[in-house]
Amino acid sequence: MSITNLLENWSDFRQQHPSDDRPHREYKWAMSIDLDSCTGCNACSVACYAENNLPVVGKEKFAHGHSHHWIRIERYWDNDGREFADQGAQFLPMLCQHCESAPCETVCPVGATNHTADGLNSQVYNRCVGSRYCNANCPYKARYFNWYDYPTTDNVWPEPMNQQLNPDVTVRGKGVMEKCTFCVQRLTVAKSNARSAGRGVLDGEVQTACQQVCPTGAISFGNLVDPLAKVGKQWMTQQVELNKDKQAKDVKDVEEKAAKLRGYRILEELRTYPSVMYLEQLRESAI
Amino acid sequence: MYCFLRFSILLVGLIVSAGSYAVNAAQPLTTADDLGPKVEQPIEFPHDRHAGDAAKGGMQINCMYCHTYARRSIVAGIPPLQKCIGCHQNIESVRETPRIKKLFEYWEAKKAVPWKKVHDLPDFVRFNHERHIQRFVFAQNKPVQEACGYCHGDVKTMTVARRQKPLSMGWCVSCHQKDHPVDATSTKTTHGPNDCWQCHK
Repeated sequence: MSITNLLENWSDFRQQHPSDDRPHREYKWAMSIDLDSCTGCNACSVACYAENNLPVVGKEKFAHGHSHHWIRIERYWDNDGREFADQGAQFLPMLCQHCESAPCETVCPVGATNHTADGLNSQVYNRCVGSRYCNANCPYKARYFNWYDYPTTDNVWPEPMNQQLNPDVTVRGKGVMEKCTFCVQRLTVAKSNARSAGRGVLDGEVQTACQQVCPTGAISFGNLVDPLAKVGKQWMTQQVELNKDKQAKDVKDVEEKAAKLRGYRILEELRTYPSVMYLEQLRESAI
Repeated sequence: MYCFLRFSILLVGLIVSAGSYAVNAAQPLTTADDLGPKVEQPIEFPHDRHAGDAAKGGMQINCMYCHTYARRSIVAGIPPLQKCIGCHQNIESVRETPRIKKLFEYWEAKKAVPWKKVHDLPDFVRFNHERHIQRFVFAQNKPVQEACGYCHGDVKTMTVARRQKPLSMGWCVSCHQKDHPVDATSTKTTHGPNDCWQCHK
């Protein structure tokens, strides 16, 4: 991207809060995760390792706080006031939220993380210089830094395991930041196929790896612009809007109504406008 | 005070942008150094004989007759040996020439010809042949050899193909920034995508 292009098309490149004036054109990829269905089985995390060439860092490095799981299962043991306190943890799969107004994007000194036209938060490994500023600024801690050169020195994928590496995804070297991409390699293929057929990507035509393996179908993924998409319907039923940092359902006079809705976005009040909606767990109250 | 600051920032921006215009103008996009290394192929395949102009003794075969996947896949594809034999078993006039003899040796040994890659992009780049061919050949009605030649050079004049274009990011972007008509008749133009993830993976 030359600087002339940058200056001429500044309105296309600059960070903007999502608004009705600048709607997404063809695609806005979004996700919703039903925590009520999530059993914390970690299949999503394993699928992500396989799909995106994530290195297994090993016990020792993990103990030092180093990890590479682009989607991780967070456990919450806050059982106060629950009828069956020994029932166990509550789970929350945490991944890059692909914020519409991402805190990581504004701080990158070299512009290695950008917003794409499809509403994805992109990470360009070739451009990344490893300042780790984005990681520091991410409120979700969903970015992972390569402290080691996994493809060569650490022998993370010994013969014949290197054969299972996905050729559509770069194997990252030392000194670059990485994070969930919403399986952009799959999105690209789906978009290209749809374009050859002269249409847009249909709902269900493309799945992320985590969504594909989820045994309880807790994860739905799709195009928010498409009125037929399941994910869009879920957002609408839960009255969660992409371009609001405070949802209408939270207003007091509709409190009763709001109690029935369980859609929320994490740390919405920070005005990051995340693309992932979670559906609150209600399993215990449903018993 | 703030007004002054804003003005100076704008001034710096203008100077930088003017500078980059000057740099762009000074450097030609393709130079003699862009010529790739000579690749020794198992059979010295004469592209000029197959695809070249009739006046120069070529057969003017469409590139996509052999590289069939270019219009419907991410890769253009190297033709299987069957394709070569399919024609050559009926061309008696050249049957005893050294290159064709070698071709039939592979055929009788039931082995694929180990062709070598000439246009090799880095592993972190995703280039889709289908999108480019659909756009230039099928939507804009450009001649096939011209459209392929944007990246592969004038292959119809070569024997064994050799890289003629730099295939660097700046070179790709120089074309993506240009406005291209959306089809053969329309005056509407668009430029290629300029989002990093379109090509980087």
